[in-house]
Amino acid sequence: MRYTYYPGCTLYTTARSLNDCALKVAERIGFELAEMPAWTCCGAIYNTNSDDLAASVGPVRNLARASQLGDKLVTLCAACYNVLKRTNTALNDPEKQDVAKRLLDYVEEPFERPIEVIHYLEVLRDDIGWDQIRGKVTRPLSGLKVASYYGCLMVRPPKVLQFDDPTNPMCLDDLMAAIGAEPVQFDFKTKCCGGYLVVSQHDVAVKCSRRIIDNAADYNADVLVTTCPLCHYNLDALQRDMKAEDPDFQPIPVLYFTQLLGLATGLRKRELALDYNKIDPRPVLKKVGNVS
Amino acid sequence: MEYPDKTLIRQIETLSGQGISDCYQCGRCTSGCPVVDEMDLNPRQTILLLQLGKAEEVLGSNGIWLCASCMVCGTRCPCEVDYARIAEACRAIVLRAKNSKVDPDSIKDENIEEIPQQAFVASFRKFAG
Repeated sequence: MRYTYYPGCTLYTTARSLNDCALKVAERIGFELAEMPAWTCCGAIYNTNSDDLAASVGPVRNLARASQLGDKLVTLCAACYNVLKRTNTALNDPEKQDVAKRLLDYVEEPFERPIEVIHYLEVLRDDIGWDQIRGKVTRPLSGLKVASYYGCLMVRPPKVLQFDDPTNPMCLDDLMAAIGAEPVQFDFKTKCCGGYLVVSQHDVAVKCSRRIIDNAADYNADVLVTTCPLCHYNLDALQRDMKAEDPDFQPIPVLYFTQLLGLATGLRKRELALDYNKIDPRPVLKKVGNVS
Repeated sequence: MEYPDKTLIRQIETLSGQGISDCYQCGRCTSGCPVVDEMDLNPRQTILLLQLGKAEEVLGSNGIWLCASCMVCGTRCPCEVDYARIAEACRAIVLRAKNSKVDPDSIKDENIEEIPQQAFVASFRKFAG
């Protein structure tokens, strides 16, 4: 299977490890992600002001270009997924056709065919299936307790995204079970990490992220996994501030789900890009016998 | 009912696509808000003040600048009122009068190196005029 793939800006820089592992794992599992040419930034956040059409030009242009290549567009960053899927839904909303027409006229790139925006996790769950993934596991992550953190952008607004149960999503948990890890159920799997507030109100983001880490720790998680580069940054890098504020704070490694998927399916240690994680996950992975 | 700040309220309703009077003040938005502890006006109070026509008070509050658009409020609302959209509209009114809340020049070099771009793009979209 071959899919058109939209990586987005952050996956080319700070979240390189999310992107690189995902591409290599796809090869192992048996599908191909073909990066679409000439993609641009999705805008990072979905605009909701009714008169601000300029904010939608980027995502509309990306969707139009992707539609020339196939009927599905695969995303991996939670923010790109959210923005592109919501923009795509709005373009097809019968009540918003006047706005849709203005946007499409402006970008001057035709929609070749209707297109569906899906997340990499939906490829794994809906097209490949957990059984087939289980069959590709060469190093099951037995004994590793994983708290799957979905955040906001994968599940809300639920009516548009329809990714999973909005209050208790299970897709990542099921994937973790398929690769032999032990999914940990915790309360804050969809609680906000503070997102972009980290730029302007850093302390608020630290507080929001601390709550999630503490909650995962209450349920004895060894690691957290996420699919959003910004959640990853807040939950991982801000532990430095949590430790500075509270010497008793116990750090927990935060990984991209693709890193654990790569580990379980036999990627080489170097390919997992564990060096980029601020809280080193190797000691805990070593403890459960997964990394030498 | 005659609103004292009628023009502003209408503008907020038009920008956000939300009916201010649809809210019956149950407070579910506020119970789920992750940053409510930091807000001078919480989501429920914000909408109440708008219902009372006090738009200026809302535009001057810190609550609208703390919303991280996590969308829990709108997801939980039994009346389909989306506070995050109302906050976005309020911010737009302030920002369009050239009152930026973030200054790109004030961001430290080490943060520019480290923080993912998506956070900068989102932050400037939300908080810069």
